[in-house]
This record gives sequence, C-alpha cells and structure tokens, in this order.
Amino acid sequence: LPAGLSQWFPALEVLDVSGTGLAEMGTELLSLPCLHTLLAKNNRLGGPGSLPKGLGQAPLARSLRVLNLSGNRFSEVPPELLQVRGLRSLSLGGNRLHSIPPDIQELRSLEFLYLGGNFIMAIPPELAKLPSLRYLVLCDNKIQSIPPQLAQLHSLRSLSLHNNLLTYLPREILNLVHLEELSLRGNPLVVRFVRDLTYNPPSLQELAGRTVKTRNVPYAPSDLPDSLVRYLSLASNCPNPKCGGVYFDSCVRQIKFVDFCGKYRLPLMHYLCSPECSTPFSSASQSSTSQSESDSEDEASVAAHRMQKVLLG
Amino acid sequence: MEQPVQTETWKARSLEELVRILHQIFAEDKVSVEEVQTLMESYESNPEEWLQYAKFDQYRYTRNLVDSGNGKFNLMILCWGEGHGSSIHDHTDSHCFMKILQGNLKETLFEWPGKKGNGEMTKKSERVLRENQCAYINDSIGLHRVENISHTEPAVSLHLYSPPFDTCNTFDQRTGHKHKVTMTFYSQFGERTVC
Repeated sequence: LPAGLSQWFPALEVLDVSGTGLAEMGTELLSLPCLHTLLAKNNRLGGPGSLPKGLGQAPLARSLRVLNLSGNRFSEVPPELLQVRGLRSLSLGGNRLHSIPPDIQELRSLEFLYLGGNFIMAIPPELAKLPSLRYLVLCDNKIQSIPPQLAQLHSLRSLSLHNNLLTYLPREILNLVHLEELSLRGNPLVVRFVRDLTYNPPSLQELAGRTVKTRNVPYAPSDLPDSLVRYLSLASNCPNPKCGGVYFDSCVRQIKFVDFCGKYRLPLMHYLCSPECSTPFSSASQSSTSQSESDSEDEASVAAHRMQKVLLG
Repeated sequence: MEQPVQTETWKARSLEELVRILHQIFAEDKVSVEEVQTLMESYESNPEEWLQYAKFDQYRYTRNLVDSGNGKFNLMILCWGEGHGSSIHDHTDSHCFMKILQGNLKETLFEWPGKKGNGEMTKKSERVLRENQCAYINDSIGLHRVENISHTEPAVSLHLYSPPFDTCNTFDQRTGHKHKVTMTFYSQFGERTVC
C-alpha cells in the first residue's frame, strides 16, 4: 500500500484491494480515521506483516467494521486481528486455518463470521461468547464435533456446517431459538441407532468446578485467575431435569435420534454429568417409561418442531 | 419423410432483447429446448443490465423475478453468496434453464430415489458451470443440487422455468425422503418483496 494513502484520501471509508497480490499491509492504513470497510480478498496475505503493527492501539481498531481476508494464506488467525474491537463482519474463508483461537471471544461486536473452506478440526467453546453473532459459517472444514456451549449463541440466525466430519450434533442445538438456516449435508451423520456410552473420569479441576457451581460457592473475579473465571463460566447443565448437576469436559455421551415426523432423523448427542445420571435405556427399544425421560421428551419435541421448520425450509 | 423442425439460432445482444425473443419463442405452440438453450447462452452477461435485480441476502440464496412471460414462463435471477447452496429438488414437471451471469455454480445431479426412499440418494454426476454457460434439466433427467462452492466470490444466475411453478419437492440426501415446499420471490421486477 502506498505510504501517502492517508494524506491523499483522508476521508476514505471503503478500501478494496482484493486481487492485487498484496502480501503485507503496513502502518499507512492506521491513519485512515474514517475507514470502516477493508476488503483484501484473494491476495498473498498470511505471513508476518500481513496486518499493520500497532493495529490494536490505533483508532482503526474501533472504527473498522467489515474485514474480508478470504482467499489468502492465513494458517492462523493473526493475534492483532483480535484487537479490532469494533469489528462486525469478518471473513477468513478459503485460507489455511487449522484452528480458531479461543480469544476470538474478544471480538465482542461480531455479527458475521465466515470461516468456510479451511482445515479447522475443532470449535473452541469460547466462540459461544459472541453475544451478537447472527451468521456463522463453518462449512468445508474438518470439524468432528460441535461443543454444546454453541447453543449459547442466542442471536444466531444461520449456521452453516455442511461438508465436515460430524457424526452427531449436541442436543443443545435445539435451544437456538432464532435459528432460521442450518446446513448439515455432506457430514457422516450417524443414521442407524447407536448406543455409545463412554465416560472419562473427571479431572480435579472439573470436580472442583462442579462443586463451586452446584453448591453456589460465591466467588468474585478478583478471587480467581482469569482462566478459572472463564472456565467456570463454561459449565453446562446436565439435561436430565431431575439432576441439578453441571459438567465441564467430562460427561457421559449417548446418541439419541430426534425424529422430525419420520422424515429426518438427526442424531443428537446427549451429555449427562455421570453414568449414574443416565436415564434407564433398554437396549431393545428406543423409548423409555421413566418420568424424567418423558418430561425432557416434551421439551425436546417443542424444540424439535421448531428445528424441523429450520431444516426443511 | 417428415421435415425436421426449423429452429432459429438467435443472438441476444442485451437482457432486454433476450426477454423480447423469449416472448416471441413462447408465443408459439411448440418450443424447442435447444433453441432456448442456445438463445440463453448467446446472451453475454453484462452486469449493468441486471444489477437492479441482483439483490443478495446474507443468509441464503435469493430468487428475483425479472419477467413473468405472459404466464408461459418465469425468468428470474438467483443470487448466491459465498457458500450458499440449494437443497436437492425436482422441477414439478417443468423445463428449467440455468445460465451463469457471474461467478461459478456447482450442479450435482441425482437419481430419483426408489419407491421406499430408504437409503442414501445416488449421485449421477457433478460439474462446475462457468460464466455464460447454460444448463438444462427437467424431471425426466433427474434431480439436482446447485451450490456456490466459492468462499470468496458471490455468484449470479439467470433461470427460466416453463411452465412457471411455485412449489416443488426437496429431498434429504441421506434417506431420499421428500418434502413439498413453496418457493417465494425475494424481489419482483427489481422491487424487494415485503412479506
């Protein structure tokens, strides 16, 4: 980018440098006080110097709303990017990302996040801490599972998961009440009934976390290191309504099929906090007669009806 | 010996001219698929002529009606954002022409599912359609899924359906089960349709 950019165009609001072979963007960007949209797709960005030094401290970090870096060579999300607090729309489609950094949660204003066409293998639960996220694209990656915490994305309207390696979805996906679009094609979703009980015993940290949460042990951010405060906020409720328990990483997994009027069977993973918590499940039939089972089935059928409209729409 | 049907080789020099010639062709009792396909392909996409119809939606592809063909056909422009795709669908006994105006679209053809509809649907073929190419499909050929597989470029396509239809079936690739859906227009004649 030319050094005189901000002198020649001090009122610049939209800059499109897509398809120019750009490999670096320097400090000449930082003194553009009105710039809100930067399109730099199909370039050679990805190495050091791709984004200007000092981006996090510059006024641009608060004024930039839309950033499109699709079709470049990023193998990781550059840390400076996460300091652009005002960002509403970010595209890193068609790059070489293998993971999403947990600090993505720093982009508090993000509404639109496009990460399709990378090599992403897992989704950090911290992604769920983006309160304004409406559109999340994760298609064409290598994702094997969706963390149940993703259901905390209350604003989510559209979720694109097609062409990944998903065999099931977390049951909590039914809680995304504003979801209008959900794409799941091209995933090896389990079709036949599978009963798979696995249980990794919880770590000491998990046990302590569970106690803090279930006994309502009071704590303030000043009492604990930031990492533990964040950990405690990631607790998931045990879906068994008779159990007030929570779990973090350690849980029992069972696959249940939610049937949308006999036309679609989505394998939903139920997480229960411990083997003792799992509802009685006879191996011969898929239905159970326990009360807690039918209570949660009613809840599930309301959510399932809503999801049916999303999937078939 | 029967004379073969004389088909014209048309060249549409603008979108307006394309619409005009289509009206002329469809005023006849018999319409040749090849004639329409050649005509559609002959039009060299000029964004200035169709930009007013190309209204994109953030979350999914849009259908924007351009001309209602005196009831004989519907001509519409579809706008596909990055990663947007359709379900597998049929064409309710109508002819469907699809021409790429901008970008690329992947078309995957599927066999009709068996009577029981219990099992993964069979893919017949797939291809990527380039700018100005025109594809044709009808129910006897099979079903298809259309998608913009680009993560960097939006795509725009021009579709002609004859006779017009507003419902079709969508199919679950894993099971072959079908579901009837009603299609709506995002905009008509350049004006956003308010629901």
